[in-house]
Amino acid sequence: MLKIAYALQESGYALNGKELVRSAGLPQSLSREVAGVLIAFKWVEENAQGVMRLTKAGEARARELIRAHRLWERYLVDRKGMPLEGIHAEADRREHEMTPQETKSLDIELGYPAWDPHGHVIPAHGRRVPSLETRRLSEVGIRGSRLRILFLDDEPAPLLAQLITMGLKPGVEIEIINREFDILQLKLDKKVIPLAISAANHVSVIPAPALAVQLDELPMGSRVRVVEIEGSGKHQRRMLDMGFVPGSEVTVIRKAPLGDPIEYRVKGTAVALRQKDARSILVEELEIG
Amino acid sequence: MDRKRLVVGMAGNPNTGKSAIFNALTGRRQHVGNWPGKTIERAEGVFFHGSWEVHLVDLPGTYSLAAQSPEEIIARDYIISEEPSIVVNVVDATSLERNLNLTLQLLELTDKVVVALNIMDEVRRQGCEIDVEALEAVLGVPVVSTVATEGEGLPQLKTALVEVAEGYRQTSPTSIDYGLTVEGYIKSLEEDLAKLGIIGRSRWIAVRLLEDDPEVIEGFKSGKLSAWTLSKDTPFIYPESLQVLVRKAARLREAIHPNARVEIVRRRYEFAHNAVKQTFRRKQPAEQSLTERVDRIITHRFWSWPIMLAILVLVLWITIQGANLPSEMLGTAFAWLAERMREFLGYLNAPWWVIGSLVDGLIFGTGTVIAVMLPPMLIFFTAFSLLEDIGFIPRVAFNMDRLMRAVGSQGKQTMVVMMSFGCNVTGVFSCRIIENAKDRIVAIITSPLVLCNGRFGAGLALVILFFGDRALSVTLIYLAISVGAMLFATWVLNRLFFRREPGGFVMELPPYRKPKWGQIIRRSLVHQVGHTMGRAVMIAAPAMLIIWFLGNLPPDSSFEQTAVGHMVNMLTPLGRPFGLTGEMLTALVFTLPAKEIVVSSLAMTYGLQTTLADSQTILAHLARTWTPLVAFSFLTFYMFYLPCLVTAWAIWKETRSLKWLLMSLLVSMTMASVITFIVYQGGRLLGFS
Repeated sequence: MLKIAYALQESGYALNGKELVRSAGLPQSLSREVAGVLIAFKWVEENAQGVMRLTKAGEARARELIRAHRLWERYLVDRKGMPLEGIHAEADRREHEMTPQETKSLDIELGYPAWDPHGHVIPAHGRRVPSLETRRLSEVGIRGSRLRILFLDDEPAPLLAQLITMGLKPGVEIEIINREFDILQLKLDKKVIPLAISAANHVSVIPAPALAVQLDELPMGSRVRVVEIEGSGKHQRRMLDMGFVPGSEVTVIRKAPLGDPIEYRVKGTAVALRQKDARSILVEELEIG
Repeated sequence: MDRKRLVVGMAGNPNTGKSAIFNALTGRRQHVGNWPGKTIERAEGVFFHGSWEVHLVDLPGTYSLAAQSPEEIIARDYIISEEPSIVVNVVDATSLERNLNLTLQLLELTDKVVVALNIMDEVRRQGCEIDVEALEAVLGVPVVSTVATEGEGLPQLKTALVEVAEGYRQTSPTSIDYGLTVEGYIKSLEEDLAKLGIIGRSRWIAVRLLEDDPEVIEGFKSGKLSAWTLSKDTPFIYPESLQVLVRKAARLREAIHPNARVEIVRRRYEFAHNAVKQTFRRKQPAEQSLTERVDRIITHRFWSWPIMLAILVLVLWITIQGANLPSEMLGTAFAWLAERMREFLGYLNAPWWVIGSLVDGLIFGTGTVIAVMLPPMLIFFTAFSLLEDIGFIPRVAFNMDRLMRAVGSQGKQTMVVMMSFGCNVTGVFSCRIIENAKDRIVAIITSPLVLCNGRFGAGLALVILFFGDRALSVTLIYLAISVGAMLFATWVLNRLFFRREPGGFVMELPPYRKPKWGQIIRRSLVHQVGHTMGRAVMIAAPAMLIIWFLGNLPPDSSFEQTAVGHMVNMLTPLGRPFGLTGEMLTALVFTLPAKEIVVSSLAMTYGLQTTLADSQTILAHLARTWTPLVAFSFLTFYMFYLPCLVTAWAIWKETRSLKWLLMSLLVSMTMASVITFIVYQGGRLLGFS
């Protein structure tokens, strides 16, 4: 219940007893009781207008529950080999039995995973659950837009199983080809698959990140951001020390008279790199010259 | 007064003015240039401040302390050795963020750091300012803003050093948050290290283990840890437990997403980025800089070539033209000195061989070397220092890299070649700017093939004698042969010895800076005068004495009877296929101490005189006896046959390997023989005699 309250507050909905029970799929008659319990635990406070707010303690507890839940799901898949559609219910049960200390050891045991099996971010202890600009696949109307599946709703379980067998897993990139009647035509790995809008409503997507390109391919004057440094050993180390680290902004300044090497500006310094070396630096484009 | 001793190490990125601060503080003149990677050797100096005697040690310029290059290992080992009580980190304020990468690594290694924020004048000129106090707060160590070339901020730097040494100013270096996961691993490794009894620097060691630092990992595997631990009484550690740690670190590395090393460096840069954001303020909008405008022309697809060529030709022309008069004057002065000496010794009734060896051998011989060498070197290196100081030379490397890649080398070798035009010795030493070991060795070995000023000047006299009006085109042919031979040798060496080793070219292009004239002139004067005189005294002088005795012993005998005469006879058959005579080859042996003395050496071996003193008679004699083809063959061989003794010594000093020294001698000898053979035999086939 607390998790639902947290989700409502985070997504900007008004938090009140009615909304709570509706989201939880409980009868309206229980709304007062539910709110009463949350308030008794000092997780929620209510003002005179009946609008509720999570207290600090409530927020922290909710985050802890989400963290425990997602860690459990990870554990069940990674260590127990449970199928994706069965884990939600199991994790729902286990999350309440965890002390923060136990959650921490679970986190360490699993090697600090960043994502749960559905593709949700696992928040670090005490951190906010990061919110990305996610949308339901059903809400994306534009043809040709490239999307990445961020996560699938845990419930209903049969639908989840169905989606996964279709290949629609978290992290997969898709493209909307057409939308006719209530069917979406999706392109996935060169195949075209149909998906009902009602099912698409349970798939959350983000715009697919621009494809990383190699630094040496860019026209002069481009502004880019480093995504990754490929390779290893001395070469990689040297690139890192010259300031080419993930997140750095790089401007392509000019080519040498014979086309190679190329001068780049990074971290306020001009550095010349050969094309061969620049190729190992993957970047995303910010502005193309 | 009893002074307290303080040892201070100086670390910083290349080209941050580290050497300039070093020189300004200690008063010792050291070469400072506007290109990366100048200082590799350990330079030391002393200055006094209050009751302190401060010993400064200039560490090699490095971008990092990751121990990926010899320079980084030198710098790091020195700081770990605990010899310096304080480390001064010289930072280029115009590229603060990149420079802080090294600063943050230093802070992990030692807590006694003072940051010198140098080149602040440039920052102000760009309309920016840096909040020094805020930066101090972020880093947790004293920060002093300086302009080394003007002496600004240096008293404050001295004061800061002494205050830290006296404990008056406490340092509490900041510690970087590497993120939840990595911090957890660091802590876990630190606990393991503590169990083994390694307490000091355990965080640093833990980070290095996670970063996959080759040196530290190697140390753990071999059980040699003493270099990194603070306490002298580290308990005995079983090698097995160290290896367990190495394996654990490897496992932890795997779990860091996406790559442990990238993540750690990224976090460090993130910290630097935030530090810059908090302290750096731009007061005026940035305008298109001078560097940008100049570079557009100098690295232009078309214009770059004539510009580079024109500048090189101009420098060589000024050198040759400008050196004529002072050379003549110096020659006259030495002749005058020799005469006075002869009179004086005659007055003392000294035996004939003392007068002969001292006056005709030593004074006249070394005098000739100095007179011929000193003026052109002074002019050439002043011009070169100027180009270096304003930042032109790195652009040449940038433009030329693609061409040099074709022979398996890289752009920085062009800088070496340009230096070698002045003097091969300086050229060999300048190879230090090449951080890639393979490229550096190839550049050292091939640099004697580049015609230096000495050979150029002395050769020019003969070229003019024999080819008169066509002297210019003949000179250009020699230049072309020289560069061609150097490129060819580079290509062959790369193919033969370094086939598998990857080359690479990563170079910082520093912004153009206004030349500091005083510094340039002082530097060329001190460096070149000192260098040339030293060279003349140390190597040329004894060689001159030996040559004099060879030409005059046994006394009162005919020319054939002297040692020189015997050498001529011995070498005669060797020279035949190349159109060279025994006299010529013997003369070339005599020019090994300094190639400039070729003409007077010829005079000796032709039996025209018994000293290296005069060159007028021999020129007339040669003009009568040599055909143009013989002259051309002789000059070709002379230009390339072997590096002079000082260059050979420099090659040994820089490679510390007999193999590469012999290789260099072999390369130049082979080149000279093959080219001369082709020239002479080809010339004969074409009907020249």
